Amino acid sequence: MWDGMINGMLTGISTTMIPTNIGMVLIGCFRGSLIGMLPGLGPITAVALMIPVTYGLEPTTGMVLLSGVDYGAIFGGSTSSILINAPGEAATVATALDGYPLARQGYPGKALAIAAYASFSGGTISVIMLMFFAPMLANVATSFQSADYFALMILGLTAVSAFAGRGGVLKALLMVVLGLMLATVGTDQTSGVQRFTFGSLELLDGIEFLLLAMATFALTEALSIVLKRDESSDSLKPKMIGFKSLKVTKKEFKKIAPTIGRSSLLGFFVGVLPGAGATLGSFMAYGMERNLASPEDREKFGKGSLLGLAAPEAGNNAASSGSFVPLLCLGIPGSGTTAVMLGALIAYGIEPGPRMFIESPEVFWGVIMSMYLGNVFLLILNLPLIPYFARLLAIPRNLMVPMILFFSLMGVYLITFNDFDILMMVFFCLAAMALRLMNYPMAPLLLGFILGGLMEDNLRRALMIYDESISFMWERPLTLGINLATLFILFFPILRSFIASKRRNSVRFD
Amino acid sequence: MAREKVGALVMLLFSMAYGLLALKIPLSFLAQNEFFTSRTMPYALAVLGVLIALLILVFPTTDPEGKRSLREETHGMDWKTAILLVGGMIVYGLTMKWIGFIISSILFLLVGFYILGERRIKRMLLASIPWVVMLWFIMSSLLGVYIAPGELFYMLGGL
Repeated sequence: MWDGMINGMLTGISTTMIPTNIGMVLIGCFRGSLIGMLPGLGPITAVALMIPVTYGLEPTTGMVLLSGVDYGAIFGGSTSSILINAPGEAATVATALDGYPLARQGYPGKALAIAAYASFSGGTISVIMLMFFAPMLANVATSFQSADYFALMILGLTAVSAFAGRGGVLKALLMVVLGLMLATVGTDQTSGVQRFTFGSLELLDGIEFLLLAMATFALTEALSIVLKRDESSDSLKPKMIGFKSLKVTKKEFKKIAPTIGRSSLLGFFVGVLPGAGATLGSFMAYGMERNLASPEDREKFGKGSLLGLAAPEAGNNAASSGSFVPLLCLGIPGSGTTAVMLGALIAYGIEPGPRMFIESPEVFWGVIMSMYLGNVFLLILNLPLIPYFARLLAIPRNLMVPMILFFSLMGVYLITFNDFDILMMVFFCLAAMALRLMNYPMAPLLLGFILGGLMEDNLRRALMIYDESISFMWERPLTLGINLATLFILFFPILRSFIASKRRNSVRFD
Repeated sequence: MAREKVGALVMLLFSMAYGLLALKIPLSFLAQNEFFTSRTMPYALAVLGVLIALLILVFPTTDPEGKRSLREETHGMDWKTAILLVGGMIVYGLTMKWIGFIISSILFLLVGFYILGERRIKRMLLASIPWVVMLWFIMSSLLGVYIAPGELFYMLGGL
């Protein structure tokens, strides 16, 4: 196993060290940081916006660029959280809790520098763990059959829903079902029958993944900035961004080091869970550090604590890398962003899953090794550029919003050259906007859409192997194990709330 | 009514319509005797959609965010600007074929800036023309992708 791992790492290093790929890591980190910094635009949007650019590239180069954009955007999101209390996306909300008060106290430079160091450490620790865990899991997963894949996809879709938060499980499940429904539009690959095309030639090939991703994320984000009259970027003038110092003292380093270590480990394992992602990673790290802190340190949480800033930053970056484990090893996305990347992998003609480890080792290892390089680049590139990057926040929304709309529409049009796609994007954007206003999440929809076709194929194949009986769901031990995990994940929130209410009742009784 | 419930109601109707449309998926004579056909997955999804939507409608809403009504949620939103922008996107999609990529894109950006309140002409032109021309140049000259000029161009006798 070690030989394979070392060979893989060497493959990854040789793939990453090609000047084109080094350049892509650099461009990815840079673009990701810039896009992620804009209020309302997170890594999903950043990655979706970059996919059209990658279509003309080699699959490895494309994936290296996209992963650079992903962690660049997570890092960029913390800049807007710290400077203007406007988190680019949910994963950096916890960063704003202590980062913004620290910036208000006159230390924006220090806050951004700590965020950069914590992100670097979280990302690096997580990549090292990814190097060890990913091949192990991929080796086990090569023995998977169609039945196991089908069960695994249900597990992935359920996990995304189960982590949706209080009262969100059913809504997320409904969005998964809607995504699966949209995936059935077009020609059925096995029978050649047209489904839900309404006689339209444009729908024969189904709905383009990129079109749906852009419409549900980039376009709706831009429209919601307009709808909610979000003028946070307008309020920031370049002269307001003053930086006393980016310097962090040795004492401060010593204090935050254990926090970064613990949060990185926790973040990685949270990220590995399909569906958990960087948001949960950052909040869990913040919560854990708050509980572990001394009483006087705990008092400072929420008021500009260095620990409260370092923990979610290390946690979200570690979780972001951790979410690549299920993507690269099982073909199951661990987060909304990796769901978009899964779609890109399929578009490149690579079948995601454990076979990728054997059939496309250069993609598998190239992405992992490029992440390490990306973390170094992020630190080197971003620290000196922080004051200049932050000026981007001063772009007024009346220029920013039409540009986002234009680049999103062009991202799809310049691939398909079909003006019908622009109209279809507007239609999906309106539908997604309505669903968002009704408090329904979009990431599960995209996940369901991406996995829909694969799920149907694997179910069809499994049924053929098992003589049209669904007994494979419990007869095959591996499938049964995955199904039990699905049931546990699905009913865990119910079980937890039941235990909590029992505990509350017993306390009241005492 | 809580906005989550409104969403569930919409999804219930959508799932029912989807299920009814699934009945119309054509099947060959041989496929009709198969266990798993092109209709199987859509049927299962329609049933699942109906079931989950009903569960959301029946169970009390626990998410405090979801309890707010649609009216409360959308109160004070800038609908006019959003509708104008959506209209702009639709017009952009419809005119692209006729007036071509460069002109329609520049017009879309200029109209977008105007809708959002920008009035400084120089700024508007600088934020639109260079981007569109750069994108066109990258696509047509560097990547070798042919972007056809609009139909109107051909009608006027252009090559």
